[in-house]
Amino acid sequence: MIRSANPLAQEPRYELITRVLRSNIQRGTLPEGLVLLEGPIATVMQTSRVPVQAALRHLLGEGLVHRFDGRGYLVGPAGKAIAPLRSDLREFTLDIPGEVDDALQTRGTWRHVYEQVEEQVASCQIFGEFRIVETELSHYLGVSRTVARDVLARLQERGLIRKSATSHWIAGPLTARTVREKFEMRAIMEPAALRMAAPYIRYAEVEQLLEMIESDVALTSKSLSDALVDLCIAQAPNTTLVEMIRSNRLLLSSVSSALTALGLPNDEATNDQYRTIFDLISRHPIDSAVEYLRDHLQIMARRNLARMKIVAVIGETGAFAPYLLPQ
Amino acid sequence: MGPEQRGLASPPRLHSRRLRVRGTSITLLSQVRERAETDLGFSVDYELLDFPTCQRRAAMEPQGYDVYEQCFHNLDIVWFWGALQPIDINRITEWDNISDLAKQGGISKYAWRGHGDAPVRKLYVQPGGFLGPKPARYISMLPTVHNMDSFGYDPRVFGATQGVQPSWSWLLDKRAKGRIALVDEPAIGLFDAALAAEAAGELEFADIGNMTIEEINALMVLLEDLRRQGYFCGAWRDGDQAARLVLDSNVAVQSMWSPVYGKLGPQPGTFVEAAPSEGYRAWHGGASLSRHLGGAELDMAYDYLNWWLSGYAGSVMARQGYYISTPDRSRADMTPQEWAYWYEGAPAAHDLRGPAGEWVVRAGARRAGGSYQERASRIAIWNTVMDEYNYATRAWDRFIRRIQDTRTVETGAA
Repeated sequence: MIRSANPLAQEPRYELITRVLRSNIQRGTLPEGLVLLEGPIATVMQTSRVPVQAALRHLLGEGLVHRFDGRGYLVGPAGKAIAPLRSDLREFTLDIPGEVDDALQTRGTWRHVYEQVEEQVASCQIFGEFRIVETELSHYLGVSRTVARDVLARLQERGLIRKSATSHWIAGPLTARTVREKFEMRAIMEPAALRMAAPYIRYAEVEQLLEMIESDVALTSKSLSDALVDLCIAQAPNTTLVEMIRSNRLLLSSVSSALTALGLPNDEATNDQYRTIFDLISRHPIDSAVEYLRDHLQIMARRNLARMKIVAVIGETGAFAPYLLPQ
Repeated sequence: MGPEQRGLASPPRLHSRRLRVRGTSITLLSQVRERAETDLGFSVDYELLDFPTCQRRAAMEPQGYDVYEQCFHNLDIVWFWGALQPIDINRITEWDNISDLAKQGGISKYAWRGHGDAPVRKLYVQPGGFLGPKPARYISMLPTVHNMDSFGYDPRVFGATQGVQPSWSWLLDKRAKGRIALVDEPAIGLFDAALAAEAAGELEFADIGNMTIEEINALMVLLEDLRRQGYFCGAWRDGDQAARLVLDSNVAVQSMWSPVYGKLGPQPGTFVEAAPSEGYRAWHGGASLSRHLGGAELDMAYDYLNWWLSGYAGSVMARQGYYISTPDRSRADMTPQEWAYWYEGAPAAHDLRGPAGEWVVRAGARRAGGSYQERASRIAIWNTVMDEYNYATRAWDRFIRRIQDTRTVETGAA
């Protein structure tokens, strides 16, 4: 995800809408007596009705609009017996500052908010089991429930959350067993796939990568791990197997970055190990690379299990995001 | 100006050499520190913390100390956090004299190793930075002080006369309801509770030293059920708290550490150490080097480590009921009567003093469980950081908090 540089991008959507309506009322663009309805405002702002409702309630509290004997709100303070003015909102050219417009536009998709949620959901799991409240999530993010559902679907696909018997979204607890089982799956599938992939491996790119490892110190072990999948393992002709391998790795990678974000030391640099694997793949019979990958995965499993222990010293500081309810 | 004149003109730089030690009440005794300073010629600063705090700060703030004195089981935290550096055994003068309990895993080839992580399984630095039992030149922690722990109890409550052997099940016994306390350290107290649950026939663990999630859940459900019924009256983190629970809260049975018996003052055998029929929960302490040490500071740290095994420190440890990994070197620093009582399990020839000179053993008393050989042959389990340590720790902490909340409410109401 690309995080926007716009400071307003992180502001709840209803606040942005409140801001736009307030300034347009104050400068008279929206005249006294104009009937404000949720639907048309939502259309103009390209948003759902929920944040519009919240924005109107705010303006009511500020005395800038008031309720009347009909649907919606009237612009202007109560008690002045203003006659309702029913016009299409689009007739009034609303002044929407570029920044606000930009912030509203970039909110349309789950991609905008996903990374933040994934980190919060992955890291809370070391503390125990949580229920995720969908409405709270959409409110917290200032997105529609449709977008919140997209986010949740993606989290489920990664294995970070599941549905309980009562249809609640549940996250955690993350256990050593989960991590161990994921690595056992890797040890079963990945060496097998590598062997099957042998004739299809993108050898020219592997060679290039080897040269890069020699010269470029900036390569992270994560990028090398991804390259091992993309260039080699995922070239196996069995697409079902490749899909399983990819999805099996998702949870591990989310957990790993969440642990780092919580302050755990990074995994030891294993670039040497990747160099050896790529070297074996490109210059030796595939059997040797397969055997080495097996050993490598065993070491990685031990490292990850060791990490699962040390996370115990991280205290529960501060509150969890409001959509996460400890169970 | 000649060199001699310069020397006179500058003030003497006293205490410019300083070694910072972070540790727990097990080893951070002023008697040890003062003697080390005299023998070594540099200052030793102590930072004394409770177990969980000590472990957390040692892992996350290795710049704050030079030497870390703790137990082998928490190397699973501190070593893997990358806070420590390996110790070269070629620089440890007493290495060959360190006992087999630390280096082999048992006092003899045939002795049962105990469940959980015997210290030897965390001792040697293995390829890839892991820790394991395969001998190597570098080690993670220098083995020093150790003991086999059990619990203390009021014999009147359990009708324990001669011939009745204490069982870990007493720690969850109905007869002691409302007068039971546990040690609040998940790698220690949780195993006391687990041993008790198994001895009482409530639960059975496939491997008590590495419980599954289901086994941890079952244990916590059992403990919570007993807590609701009012079985527990407290939890403690250090020896002073443990002593207060016995003296002020009328505890009938609780987890105990050896030095706490010495803090109970003269009391007529109403709270005594158990030698449980199921065996002991053992632990092994030691000293490690902080990652940042180098040069002259590292030399000082090695001097301090070597000093620890050279005799005196082991004799201070003995007087609070702890054993040292080089007992033969410490024997010379003890009286024959002290050696006979603490190490050989013989009746005390006369009253014996503790580390600070207070009377801790009455003439004629015998150490529960007998001699070092007898006690070290009956290790049921070692303090252990299990695979599911994080999960178990969080569950344990919630349980302890509920015990303490109940206690606060009751005290407030009274």
